[in-house]
Amino acid sequence: MAKRGRLEIIRDILDIIRENHNSIKPTPLLRQSNISSSRFKEYFNDLQERNFIKKVNNKNGRFILLTEKGFKFLEKYKTIVNFIDEFEL
Amino acid sequence: MPMYHLTGKAVGGFKGNIGMLTSLGFGTEILYSFIIIICSLMIYFGTKELYELSSHKGIKYFRQSFLFFALAYFFRSSIKFGLVYFNVAEIFDIPRRIFLMGVGQITLFTFMYFSSMAIFYLLYSVMWKKWNGNSKKIYLFHLLAFVIAISSLLFRNPLVYLGMNFFLLLLVIITFYISRKQSKQKKTKQNLHIIYVLLFSFWILNIIDILIPNFFQIFQLFIYLASSGIFLAMLYKVLKKVGSN
Repeated sequence: MAKRGRLEIIRDILDIIRENHNSIKPTPLLRQSNISSSRFKEYFNDLQERNFIKKVNNKNGRFILLTEKGFKFLEKYKTIVNFIDEFEL
Repeated sequence: MPMYHLTGKAVGGFKGNIGMLTSLGFGTEILYSFIIIICSLMIYFGTKELYELSSHKGIKYFRQSFLFFALAYFFRSSIKFGLVYFNVAEIFDIPRRIFLMGVGQITLFTFMYFSSMAIFYLLYSVMWKKWNGNSKKIYLFHLLAFVIAISSLLFRNPLVYLGMNFFLLLLVIITFYISRKQSKQKKTKQNLHIIYVLLFSFWILNIIDILIPNFFQIFQLFIYLASSGIFLAMLYKVLKKVGSN
C-alpha cells in the first residue's frame, strides 16, 4: 500500500468522522485513522486550528464533529487533488 | 541609446504629447496589459478556496506567480497611463523630460522585478517538493529579481539585457526539464509543459519588447496576441479544473 500524503490523511480522518454520523470519540478516531498517536495529535491539532473539526462535550463524553469547513474540504477534495495533479504542483 | 528611451517605451512614444495616449500603439498596450491582469487575477482569486482548504504550498506559489504577473503588468502600463493621463508632472510642477524619464525608470524597475518573481514563483510551484520545500530559496529569488531589475536600470547596453535574460530563460527551462526527467511520474502532461515553456519564452519576448522597443516592432502585435493567448489558455485550464464557480 502506497504511503499516504498529507491531504489524503486529512481526507481519511474527516471521512471517518462523517461516516460515523459526524460524531466520534477521539480513541476510535485514532484507531481508525491508521497513523501513529504522535502524528494523529499533529493532524488533530492542525485540523482544529484550521477549523475543520470541533470538540463537543456532553454527558456521554467528548466527541469530535466536522465543521462546515470540514464538510467543504471533503466535497472539494477531488478538485484539489486533480488541480495539484494537473499542474504538477 | 539613453536609458529612458529604452525604458519608457510608451513614454518615449508619447513625444511629450498626451494626445498620443489615444494612439493605436498605447491603446493596444493598455488592452494587452488589461487582458493579462484580468486573466492573472481570475486565476489568483479562482484558486483561493482550493488554497484555503488545502494549505498546499504548490497551490500557494502557483497563485503568487499570477499575482506577481498581475502586478508586473499593472506597473507596466496602468501606472504609466495614470500618471501621464492625469498630468501629474504639471500638478507637481516637475519638468516634463525628468518626469517621463522617472516614470520610465520606475515602471521598468517594477515590471522587471515583479515579472521575474512571477516566473520564479511558477518555477518554485513545480519544484518545491524536489527542493524539499526549502522556502529560503524564495529569498534568493527575491534577491535575484532585485538584481535583474537594478541591472536593467544600470546597464545601458541592450545586449547585456538579452544575454542576461536568455541565460535566465535557459536556466529556468533546464531546471524544469531535468526535474521532469528525474520525476518518477511516468505520465507526462505534454500540453502543460508546452504552456509552461511558452509562458517562460513569452516572458523573455515581453522583456525584450519593453527594453528594446525597435527589436520586435514588426512582431509586436504577434507578441501581444500570443502572450494573451497563453494566459487565456492557462485561465481556461485553471477554471476547468477548479470548476466554473
